[in-house]
Amino acid sequence: MYQSIPLSEAANLIQDSQTIALGGMTVYRRPVAFVRELLRRPNRPRDLTLLCFTAGYESDLLVGAGCVGTMRSVYFGLESFGLAPMFTEAAQKGMINILEETEASIVMGMRATMGGVGFMPSRAWIGTDLPKLRPDVKTIIDPYTNEELMAFPAIPCDVAILHGLEADSYGNVKLNNNLGIDMELVYIAKTVIVTVERMVEQVEKSTDSFLLPAPGADYIVHAPSGAWPTSCYPAYPVAGGEFMRYVDACNAGKFDEYLTEFIADRRSDLG
Amino acid sequence: MKSDTQLAIVKMLRIQSADERIQMADFTIDELISVCISRQVVDGEVLAQGINTPLVMAGFILAQCTHAPNVRFASAIGQSLCREWAPLGVGRIEDLWLGKALIHVGFAAAAADLLPSYNPKEFFRPAQVDACGNFNNVAFGHDYHRPRLRLPGTGGIPDVTTTSDHIYLYVPRHSKITFVEKLDFISGMGHTPERKHGHGVNYLISDYGQFDWANGRMRLTSYHPGVSIEQIQKKTAFQLEIAPDVHETPPPSDEEIRLLREDIDPLNVRKLETLGGGARKDLLREILAQENAL
Repeated sequence: MYQSIPLSEAANLIQDSQTIALGGMTVYRRPVAFVRELLRRPNRPRDLTLLCFTAGYESDLLVGAGCVGTMRSVYFGLESFGLAPMFTEAAQKGMINILEETEASIVMGMRATMGGVGFMPSRAWIGTDLPKLRPDVKTIIDPYTNEELMAFPAIPCDVAILHGLEADSYGNVKLNNNLGIDMELVYIAKTVIVTVERMVEQVEKSTDSFLLPAPGADYIVHAPSGAWPTSCYPAYPVAGGEFMRYVDACNAGKFDEYLTEFIADRRSDLG
Repeated sequence: MKSDTQLAIVKMLRIQSADERIQMADFTIDELISVCISRQVVDGEVLAQGINTPLVMAGFILAQCTHAPNVRFASAIGQSLCREWAPLGVGRIEDLWLGKALIHVGFAAAAADLLPSYNPKEFFRPAQVDACGNFNNVAFGHDYHRPRLRLPGTGGIPDVTTTSDHIYLYVPRHSKITFVEKLDFISGMGHTPERKHGHGVNYLISDYGQFDWANGRMRLTSYHPGVSIEQIQKKTAFQLEIAPDVHETPPPSDEEIRLLREDIDPLNVRKLETLGGGARKDLLREILAQENAL
């Protein structure tokens, strides 16, 4: 049974050293309002493990604010808008632990968790340097063909945070079809928080959206413009100018000033 | 022997500056790259479209508009299969891949099920590539924990290059920074004895020429108009093989140029990959303004 809670309460669910997953893809439908609320906490979370299929602006803010101990994603950047500046700097200074992931390692790791097994085998990586960059990932011999395969370990997840278009009082949520790994995150996370653009009487099924029915979400939060400046198709596009402003600020050494402004932004606050 | 052929051809070619090249031609380098990508497409193929690779997207759509009407696009954005296309965008790119998709499968199924089964053709943009066609998109520098430049990451490159038959590369700016003797990290697998499945890189296009790996080492097959073989070798940190029938890259047709400029990419999104610095930033701002996405 889901609960409807305010954004501040949702942000307080996150504890130090947890693995949290942020839904959506790079600059599309990311839970930015949730990240803002997390950064508004007087005691910001520390040493988080951040799990994203592709990480972007929302994750870069958390890295810049010193909340992230370990990063797991197949890509961390801002697409057309360039490198993610705070992640890039943290990586180059050795200030963040990176678990180098690829599409196969994240997908097989999630499938292992979903299936309740320790690993899933794959032909990926063999012959590249990836096994050296991830000495924790072991190989296994296929018992039928004797071929050596990667044994991608199960990926745990404490809390997944997704952003969607709408939700209703039954706990149904409408996402869009740029789904990333949102559905798998719902399955593997112990707790699922979904922020939405609007609350409606009843979420209707449609071909141009993705319906996440109850009991997927544990907590639903009303957060209008909650993905901005990432997009929330079809409600609004990527606010590219804001990404350019962010990159310029970081490159000028003004991340802290940007963060102060970001936290003060009230576009997703109710009342 | 190799260098004799090379020298003979170099003598036949006039060496010009990049500026002269652009003044002389009625097409730009981004257009030539997209046209060459288009010409690598075979009708009926499934084409995998990655993220932030507009030169490839323009080439794929151009192929469908010209000689390959039955191709299907497997897009990372929306994790979809599409038949129809829409003009390229940045802020509103989802209009294309979400508005026109036939199915959406999510990224888990796209990566683990759809791509390995359909074995699509895909163009990757390497940060470093060696003579054997191994490539790197992890980081620059020897120390993984303190890299000189950390790159965004490898996406699905270590997964598909170890199994796929249809790996293609493109390099918008040919230099010794990209074409290196030794990679810092191997994330994309080329022509190596360790390979158990699939096929090493088939083809590479840069802003200087086209290349294949017919003998397992990178081989120049054509030089772009106004570029000499000597120039290309100078910008490459390892010895290039030269194809016996090396020739000038055939220029785009008027119709190909018209399709790119007027129909496929009127906002010039593809040029974001060939421009740098302030010029790139100005174009990006201009595109976003026209999309009402600033």
